[in-house]
Amino acid sequence: MERKLQQIFFALSLIALTLILAAAWQANTPSWKTYQKNFLQLEAQGEPNAVTKAAVLATPPQIHQVMLTGLQRVDRCTTCHLGVEDPTMKNAPEPFRYHAGLGPHIPSRFGCTICHGGQGLATDKDNAHGKVEFWQSPLLSQEYIRASCGRCHKEGDVPDVPELAEGRRLFETQGCRGCHKLNGVGGSIGPDLTEEGANHRSPEWLERHFLAPNAVSAGSAMPNFHFTRDQARDLTYYMLSLTNEEMGSYFSSMRSIPGPAYGRQLFIEKNCIACHAVGGVGAKIGPDLLGVTKRHSMEWLDEQLVNPELVYPGSSMPEYDLETNARKAIVAFLSAATPDDLRLIQSGKPRAQSVEEVAIEAGKQDFARFGCVGCHGTELQGGVANPNAQGGEVPSLLHVSDDYTKDEVIAIIRNGRVPPMDNAAGPPPPLYMPSWKHVLSDEDINRIADYLWSKQQQKKDSW
Amino acid sequence: MNLIREIWQSIVRRDPLSTDKGKSELVFLNVWLHIHPAKVKKENLRFKHTFYLGFITFFLFLILLTTGIALMCYYRPYPPQAYQDMKDLQFVVFMGPFLRNMHRWAAHGMVVCVFLHMCRVFYTGSYKKPRQFNWVIGVLLLLLTLGLSFTGYLLPWDQLAYWAITVGTNIGSYAPLIGGQVREILLGGHSVGEGALLRFYVLHVAVLPSLIILLTIVHFWRVRKDGGLSQPVWKLKPQETESLVTIGAPTAVEALHVAPASTDKTYGLMEVVTGKPIFETVTPEEEEDTVFSYPYAFVREAVVLMATVTTIMMMSLFLNAPLEELANPAKTPNPAKAPWYFLGLQELVSHSALLGGVVAPALMVIALIAIPYLDRNPSRRPGDRKWMLWLFTFFVVVNLALIVVGTFFRGPGWALVPPWVHVAGGAE
Repeated sequence: MERKLQQIFFALSLIALTLILAAAWQANTPSWKTYQKNFLQLEAQGEPNAVTKAAVLATPPQIHQVMLTGLQRVDRCTTCHLGVEDPTMKNAPEPFRYHAGLGPHIPSRFGCTICHGGQGLATDKDNAHGKVEFWQSPLLSQEYIRASCGRCHKEGDVPDVPELAEGRRLFETQGCRGCHKLNGVGGSIGPDLTEEGANHRSPEWLERHFLAPNAVSAGSAMPNFHFTRDQARDLTYYMLSLTNEEMGSYFSSMRSIPGPAYGRQLFIEKNCIACHAVGGVGAKIGPDLLGVTKRHSMEWLDEQLVNPELVYPGSSMPEYDLETNARKAIVAFLSAATPDDLRLIQSGKPRAQSVEEVAIEAGKQDFARFGCVGCHGTELQGGVANPNAQGGEVPSLLHVSDDYTKDEVIAIIRNGRVPPMDNAAGPPPPLYMPSWKHVLSDEDINRIADYLWSKQQQKKDSW
Repeated sequence: MNLIREIWQSIVRRDPLSTDKGKSELVFLNVWLHIHPAKVKKENLRFKHTFYLGFITFFLFLILLTTGIALMCYYRPYPPQAYQDMKDLQFVVFMGPFLRNMHRWAAHGMVVCVFLHMCRVFYTGSYKKPRQFNWVIGVLLLLLTLGLSFTGYLLPWDQLAYWAITVGTNIGSYAPLIGGQVREILLGGHSVGEGALLRFYVLHVAVLPSLIILLTIVHFWRVRKDGGLSQPVWKLKPQETESLVTIGAPTAVEALHVAPASTDKTYGLMEVVTGKPIFETVTPEEEEDTVFSYPYAFVREAVVLMATVTTIMMMSLFLNAPLEELANPAKTPNPAKAPWYFLGLQELVSHSALLGGVVAPALMVIALIAIPYLDRNPSRRPGDRKWMLWLFTFFVVVNLALIVVGTFFRGPGWALVPPWVHVAGGAE
């Protein structure tokens, strides 16, 4: 017995030793080492003489990583994707191929995962590509990769990605905020979309959802907006870009790309044309801006836009509180602006409006922006299906002034309302009027009411 | 050669192991081994008496100490770096996954073995006089083990950790008057956050290990001082009339004799105190049944040690410790579950917060501690204590059943869902 126990002890000790060695062997032979070996062989092929060839092959294996404090991530993708920054690897097989067309977005400054998704910290294929359980963002497919531009470039146009701006426009005009919160503003009938892009939903799911909400998420209260395929794609892009990540100052300064298109938009928004002209087209209060970028240095122009009084004491130009990129964009626009541009801008400018018209227009914008149009329609026609509500759909607001006084309508907007039911025993209708008093100011609500009454006026006029 | 022999003898000052004297001296001249008696009863070494559960628990604790200290070299106790360190362990630290797996599986194993050890001690009646207090220490060690496991559960800072600790500490807050405050002190705030992670880390690597080491020393010491391992139940004589005397304690059987002290002599304690020692007295017949600890006890312990180590290593090579997404306070998993050993409690809480979360566990702990003092039946023979055995079995089964229900039968919204039914959208 004692002898046998001793033998068992030694046998178990041997097993333990074997297990430790097995674990060490497992730890010492990760797949990335094989990739690096293959890459070195590929590199050595291009070397002219045996000495440099041997030197290349003798490179010790090591993990490559890009520390991105500004993006709160560490990307180790280049441990295997060794040729991304090496143009001679243009025709190399994956994972060694050169990544062309990156522009300023070089991997050593931006890493990979901010655009591609995946798990930057991982060092084996399955985990790194994020196609494992418990990883939120697997690799984005080629089809949707451009949506990632919107993670940093949250405003203005992104060159080559019109989908983002269009998706954002649709979101703000189709009334999505009526049910969905984004960055703290919006209703709470649907899910908060602030981090939708980081929510592990596949792009395909999102796109199908926009085409027919009920087809992918049974019983969804979301009405079918009858989006076209392109519009569904635009919205999907926009959703994928919503990640609400904290970013360092460099990355957040790139919210809008400081290009001429954004500059033009700002030039219109800030109404520069009210004082300035370009080549004689426009107002004559301030100096003509034709060739202004040749007369002054970039620094001078930037300073002028920050604080006009400092550059020209007594200047009547207001301080506009523009961020760095906005100032850069305006300068970029001015460097190429022609009198024709100004004529175009002037022709697109609406005629002067009365105070009432301005208020009604603002009410109409609020009505779209806060999502009322989501249920009541862009032309107040209503008609979105709402089972078991009276009439089975969301009411049209075209005749609201016949049935209610303005104060009553304001009270309904402020406090919300659950629609009366067709069948009292049935399930409550999925859509209801939420209370807006914590979201909208009284001023906003009054404007919306004015807008509703203005429609009534138009109708009477047509009689 | 002489020098080498001299050096060896300066280290090991015992007779050769071929002699009985050498075998005894190996034990009592060695600081690590002298917790053993020089000779032990053959019957006590039988596997079916103790299943070596105490040893297994202790060895698991040693594994946890070693791997835990190694893990500390790679871990920063603040979010979100803590989670990144887990990922680094998984992906870049040499043998990192193996290390973490060993720590994880040994921790679960220790919770299980502490509990099984307690059951063994109960079923053999080994908590009875004179071992009552060592049972109490044992219960405290069980609680400390749960505390260590619970505090360690938060450290990976993933969704699993975050929500298990949120649920676990919520259970604690149902205690009237002090519950909320205790939770706040434990978490360093109103919810699980940076403060909680740091506090749990301090508890996990400093406070609780120190306490558990201190109590383990007392526990082992008391095993010796309370007369060594209890006799196997099958050796118990039907009528056990022999009563045991604790040194220094007044007893009704026989007054303690204290030899008159002489003024011109220095006395050792053994010369002053006479009377019956605490040990079950060794008679010449019983002497026949004893063997030297070396090699009989040691070789068995060594086998158990290696069996424990290889089992944990084997598991660690093939089973990976779970690691979910980064903790996200805004995204509650449904259902959010406490660590498995508290799922019985969570199950009770789902029926009544106050009864299940406070009264039941408090009563359970008090009852466990009080068992040796409430159970007045001096006999250890199973035949003499049938209903105590049934009562304890009932307690164990109810606990296990609750844990099984909480673990496998609870789905989204804590609804009763059998594990073989797939719930669509359960993760939403």
